[in-house]
Amino acid sequence: MTDDVMRFFAAWMLTHEVADEGLKAAVARGDAEGPEGMGGGPDAFVDGLAAMVAEEKERLKAALEARARGEDTGGTAGRDPALDEIRFEVAELRGRLDSIETLLQSVLRKLDG
Amino acid sequence: MASRTSTIVWTTTRHLLAALPRARFGLAPAAVRRAAWARAFRLSFEKLGPAFVKLGQLISVRPDEFSEQLVAEMRSMQDAVPALPVSAIRAVIEADFGAAPEELFATFEDTPLASASIAQVHRATLAAPYRPVWGEVLPAGGDVVVKVVRPGAAGSIRADLAIARRLAERIARTRIARRFDPLALLDEFAETLDRELDLRQEGRFADRFRFDFRDDEKVVAPRIVWSRSTSRVLTMEFIRGWRLTGLEEARAAGVDCFGLAVHGATAFMRQVFVYGRYHADLHPANIFVTPENTIAYLDFGIVGYLTPEERMNITQVMAALVYRDPERALTYSARLGVHVPPEHIDAVREGLGALLDGTTRPDGTRDFAHFGLGFLRLLGEHGVKIPSGYGLLIKSLATVEGVARALYPEIDIVAAAQPFTTRVLGQAMGDPARLKERMPAAVRAALRELVA
Repeated sequence: MTDDVMRFFAAWMLTHEVADEGLKAAVARGDAEGPEGMGGGPDAFVDGLAAMVAEEKERLKAALEARARGEDTGGTAGRDPALDEIRFEVAELRGRLDSIETLLQSVLRKLDG
Repeated sequence: MASRTSTIVWTTTRHLLAALPRARFGLAPAAVRRAAWARAFRLSFEKLGPAFVKLGQLISVRPDEFSEQLVAEMRSMQDAVPALPVSAIRAVIEADFGAAPEELFATFEDTPLASASIAQVHRATLAAPYRPVWGEVLPAGGDVVVKVVRPGAAGSIRADLAIARRLAERIARTRIARRFDPLALLDEFAETLDRELDLRQEGRFADRFRFDFRDDEKVVAPRIVWSRSTSRVLTMEFIRGWRLTGLEEARAAGVDCFGLAVHGATAFMRQVFVYGRYHADLHPANIFVTPENTIAYLDFGIVGYLTPEERMNITQVMAALVYRDPERALTYSARLGVHVPPEHIDAVREGLGALLDGTTRPDGTRDFAHFGLGFLRLLGEHGVKIPSGYGLLIKSLATVEGVARALYPEIDIVAAAQPFTTRVLGQAMGDPARLKERMPAAVRAALRELVA
């Protein structure tokens, strides 16, 4: 039984290692060569994506390290986009009201004149 | 109306006759002949006034329907007409606001800044501060531009449109109409025109644009002064800067033209791929670079809209170009309504592969216009009907490339698109609906690999 468990974890580690090596190779290809140097096709896209994910990983690592040092990273703690959207809609409504008010004033001026 | 019809027919005929020697009386090679006729049409349209100038502008964004010579010629059409007397402009302002410009603004300049087929633009300064929909308050005394629809423009354009419709009905019955549907084109034209004649729509798009790019300090659009705007008058912030024709001065002032070229191209892709609404009338006069090292988008009269599904499919087509993947381009073009008959699929795939491989310029950068317009031509050669939005978008992307190259000739817009399309598609991979759709096939593929 113990052997089975050991084999299971060994297989898990091996799978992880192979996948990790594969990802590292894809990142290296995507990093080193733009689409010009690639054969093209879906593999090129996967390599490009892997390179970008690796960049994102580095950014995340830096942000976590900065947070651990107690620095303000700012990045992920942005304002809720839905809230911004509502603010915009309200502001847009205000713009429309301004325009309508202008029309009303124009009508009043004409009536007065 | 009969006399206007005669004027239209006579003006066009006269220019076509004048083009005969250039076309060597029909004996010149096809491309030379087409270029001669295209020039004749462009000169006629310029002569015939606003409706035809606008029609020419519409043709210039439809490479899927018209020959490349006609599209190129219409692109060079000048939308500059003699200025109207300021009294006519003042009359519109007074009719809409019930007050003279001097009562509405601190100052108003009688000499126009520009005069085009639909509107004339004057400078003014604000009498009081104004809080725009998005962005900082515009101060009292701040410079603004007042865009005013030319009186009578709507009426004369619609009258010309009625005549053009009668002529189009005749053309629709002829051989010329095999390549395009003149009535459908006129309907599209009328719709575009309605939007352009109501300046509030342009203002709302400018507001939306500012909001969409609120996190990008390098991209700006003018703030709208709604208290001084109506359907015929649009007051907006005056943006100082250099047109793309005056870049030497901008460079001398320390503007980073390469950075702005890449940024401007990326900003356009963001409009298309993220928001699904984009400035569809980009040309060097509609873009400024500013002393603050920003890129300013102006004149949102013609805009394009995409549904979320169209957006994703277009991103996939762009990714196909970036990663030279003809299969992907065909799959997602089909979802956009580009249906290649089965008997033509192999030939189109082969032609597409050649296009994707042949987009490299001698300097090593890639040429989107060569690919995009070549793709449209390839589809046309195989009798594939192209949806109008698809043609417009490809043309817009080709224009963005042209604009970016005006800023920095060595820019590779395809390389600039690579991180962007990759990121958008990568983000789409996390969409639960897409995961649900694709996961069974992905698991099957993984199992196939494992047991192979």
